[in-house]
Amino acid sequence: MRGKLKGILVTLLLALMTISFLYPLYYMLANSLKTRADYFARPFALPGAPLQLANYATMISQFRILNLFKNSFVISALTVVLLLAAGTFASYVFAKYRFKGRSALYVAVMVTMFIPSQVTIIPLYVLFSRMGLVSTYWSVVLSYVALFLPECILLMTANFRGIIDELLEAAEIDGCGYFQKIWNVVLPMGRAAVFLSIIFYFITSWNDLFTPMIFLQSMEKRTVMVALATLMGRYTGAPTLQFAGLLLAAVPALAVYIVFQRQIIRGLSVGAIK
Amino acid sequence: MKKRRIVLQIVFSLLPVLLVLAVFRVYPIAVAVIKSFTNWDGLYRSDFIGLRNYVSFIQSGLFWMVLRNTLILLANVPLQVFAGLVVALLLYEKVKGWRVYRAVIYIPQIISAVIIGFLFKIFFGFNGPFNAVLRAVGLGRLAIEWFGNSYTALGVVIFAVVWFSIGWQAIVILGGMSAIPTSVFEAAVLDGASYWQRAFKIVVPMLVRVLEFCIIASGVWTLTQLFPFLYAMTRGGPGFETSTLDYMVYLKSFGLGFGSDYGMATAIAVLLLLLVLAFTLIEMRVANRADDWS
Amino acid sequence: MSRTYLLVTFLLLAAFGLAFAGGGQEAQKEAVKLTVWIHGADSFIGPNEQQKPQGEWYIAQAFQRFEQANPGVSVELVVPPDQTASHQNFNTAVLAGNAPDVANLWTGQPIYTRKDVIMPIDDLVPAADLKGIWGWESVRYNFDPKGTLLGYPAGQNQICFMMYNKAIVKKAGLDFEAAPPKTIKDFDAALAKIKASGKTPILVDEAAQGVPWFMAWVADYWWAQLTGNAQIIEQDAGKKKFADDKGLLAMLAYYRSLYTNGYFRPDLSTSNDSFSQFLQGNGAIWPAVPSFLADAEKTLGADVGVLLPPEFDASSKIRNSTIGGPGQSLVMPKNGKNPKVAVKLMSFLNSKAEYLESQKVNTYPTVRTDVTIQELGWKPASNIAKLGKVANTYNFWVDNLLRSPGPADVFYPQGALVAVGKMTPLQFAQEMDKSVPK
Repeated sequence: MRGKLKGILVTLLLALMTISFLYPLYYMLANSLKTRADYFARPFALPGAPLQLANYATMISQFRILNLFKNSFVISALTVVLLLAAGTFASYVFAKYRFKGRSALYVAVMVTMFIPSQVTIIPLYVLFSRMGLVSTYWSVVLSYVALFLPECILLMTANFRGIIDELLEAAEIDGCGYFQKIWNVVLPMGRAAVFLSIIFYFITSWNDLFTPMIFLQSMEKRTVMVALATLMGRYTGAPTLQFAGLLLAAVPALAVYIVFQRQIIRGLSVGAIK
Repeated sequence: MKKRRIVLQIVFSLLPVLLVLAVFRVYPIAVAVIKSFTNWDGLYRSDFIGLRNYVSFIQSGLFWMVLRNTLILLANVPLQVFAGLVVALLLYEKVKGWRVYRAVIYIPQIISAVIIGFLFKIFFGFNGPFNAVLRAVGLGRLAIEWFGNSYTALGVVIFAVVWFSIGWQAIVILGGMSAIPTSVFEAAVLDGASYWQRAFKIVVPMLVRVLEFCIIASGVWTLTQLFPFLYAMTRGGPGFETSTLDYMVYLKSFGLGFGSDYGMATAIAVLLLLLVLAFTLIEMRVANRADDWS
Repeated sequence: MSRTYLLVTFLLLAAFGLAFAGGGQEAQKEAVKLTVWIHGADSFIGPNEQQKPQGEWYIAQAFQRFEQANPGVSVELVVPPDQTASHQNFNTAVLAGNAPDVANLWTGQPIYTRKDVIMPIDDLVPAADLKGIWGWESVRYNFDPKGTLLGYPAGQNQICFMMYNKAIVKKAGLDFEAAPPKTIKDFDAALAKIKASGKTPILVDEAAQGVPWFMAWVADYWWAQLTGNAQIIEQDAGKKKFADDKGLLAMLAYYRSLYTNGYFRPDLSTSNDSFSQFLQGNGAIWPAVPSFLADAEKTLGADVGVLLPPEFDASSKIRNSTIGGPGQSLVMPKNGKNPKVAVKLMSFLNSKAEYLESQKVNTYPTVRTDVTIQELGWKPASNIAKLGKVANTYNFWVDNLLRSPGPADVFYPQGALVAVGKMTPLQFAQEMDKSVPK
């Protein structure tokens, strides 16, 4: 009896949580189908007829949101790839090699994580402009890679340290070189950290406004979040159009989560407990 | 010969990371730290003024309020790790409907902080749904202006941040659990271990490293990335009553309106850095794992 | 599984390809190419234009007309995402040497504090423009009539007013059309009647967007009446004390009394839905600027009325006025490469012909001195025409007189604290004094 009650309570809590997570999506959807005046007057009402599907048509045909997706995608994907490439080797070394100065170096890498990017953005801007990289994807990608690396290494190192040494030794005896060891042992065993990194940093880069707002000044190179931000004025702006855009922009981010979280859970779905 | 190869492996594995960090993080940070001793306005004015930024910020009285708020907000860290752990276990044990929960759990992370902030502000507004419920069940006395004073406002912010982070924590913890052999669980269930016993006697000890990551990452996030939430939810107000150190860094650098006092912003960022270092040291002590790295 | 990987690999290859392909593009060589920042929604781009393709926006077509009139010149439009941040971005871009040729910033202190990075245009402005446009004081250094000209006043002449709901006011037994409250005493009496009728007299969110709207749009008019912009500028520069400013203290005390008398919504320091509440008919008055008129009229129809602030001091030199004036400016960076063409463009955008052209898509009072309401085709009894009539008697934005870092950093975030009584008027004034940079 008590167990049943507890079960009901758990289900209730989880249901509440689910509703609260879905509500913002519903809110954006409902308001993206209203006129602006309607939204200002009744932001929490259901959209009345006629539904303003035009907001979506505009987003795709006039605002060319798919082009903006391309910019955001290039930036997010490059960030993730470079991050993983640099992070995997470093994390493996930090996790499994013992050498002088390791902990000092590790702490030094971690410390760079603690400075908010607002105070480093101007020196960075001047640096990128000297390198001729302002208004290119690389300015944003490189600053993201540098910004996310410490946390990514922290995550992967924590994970790689759990890999049993015997496995690595066995691989070595089998004639695996450095790269083969990483490819055949470290990455499969540390897959959770790799896929988590993909999800976190792809979505964080996708959603970020601050860095691309400052580095990407030409309209063609803009990310989707920067372009959508131009729809907000101090006084009125075009909020319903913005909602349509934000909802569309959430789709690729959500897809990345759905695709890659399966890979994380795959490892543990072998024998579930009822 | 083998030793040389290992040295090369270490060097070439770390070099790209160190290079990227040196150029794109350490260099701008060093500039910022130097500028914290100047009256830099983000442009040409940059005279050395010693510790004046630090002294005037600490003396302003704002410092202690902002520091207090920052420390109070850190309370969200254990809460979000705990909530994430509970949800991760439920997902792991495949409660009814787990596929749905797993699909929706990350949605808050994908939605713009502006929208989340707006909705929380309405929900906990003086005439919002939360107070309406309180009034309906006869608790009208408790239906206060939640954002009207610093403690309840920070409480709501903590609630919002925990809500926002459950999914993030849960998938990190699930990732860690994927390395635990399922036989361990099966044995525990056969032994009649309860849910809480399974959580704290099995999962937590085996996930020490992952949980440590959860705590550090969300702690650092709270200290340095909370700006968009506060901006959308409270604007650091009323007055400055819910402002934090990282919020002040933003205000002083990108401005309340249009001006900036970069010298001051960088000084506050350095103070924040000192605080985080203290936080990390304590965390390492508590986890008693500093020796692991010697 | 393998399909997922294949897809992912393909997308990644595409990403790399695009990143490298994008880098090689060189801008076409033009005789003169101007890059122009125009902010979305609050200046030359109207709220209803962003739904259209960019080529159909008024500003894009204006640029085309300018290009046709000036062969060899091409103009590139850039819409920055956040005007607050674009002030800082402008600094940084000048510092790095890649600023736009023309930038759209706010008037007043936001550009005065940037005078080191802005090129003065004194020698380049056509004399006819100096006569044909109001609001040059907003772009002359320190509001000095002889100060250096830093740019053009631009775009809208935003006139502050109190939007009210005629039906609610009528139910309270009042008629603001026939007998608008002229003095503070009338105003208090009217608010009391509205309150007695069961509706919130004034709906406003004084802290939700980082600006205390009632204070900046209405109460600042009283401050200007009592103290005068000239003295406020001196106080901002630290030559006089805000704490000694009787006008400021009186204005703040009255602002506080509106709260204690229950004329404001009680949660004004935490609310964020006043416009919605106003449109739903839950309150009588909502402080506004012309940008909001169209949406309000769409919802409330003929019930929307326009009320100018009552006079605090009937003996003041400033009367029958309100806060307003050009809040937007066009400026160029000190290292701009084409100053002459840039000023030509600024002048072009402010010409009478262009203003009339822009009115085909956006409705707002002008900064031109030579446009009549008849020319615009505004109905004399309409709300916009009423605002158009006071377009030349405005008192320039008091909050744009305050600098940041400085008194603006107290005014904006802490204004609401005075209303709710967390700060006394004197404490507020003293904080402003303390914030004046040395």
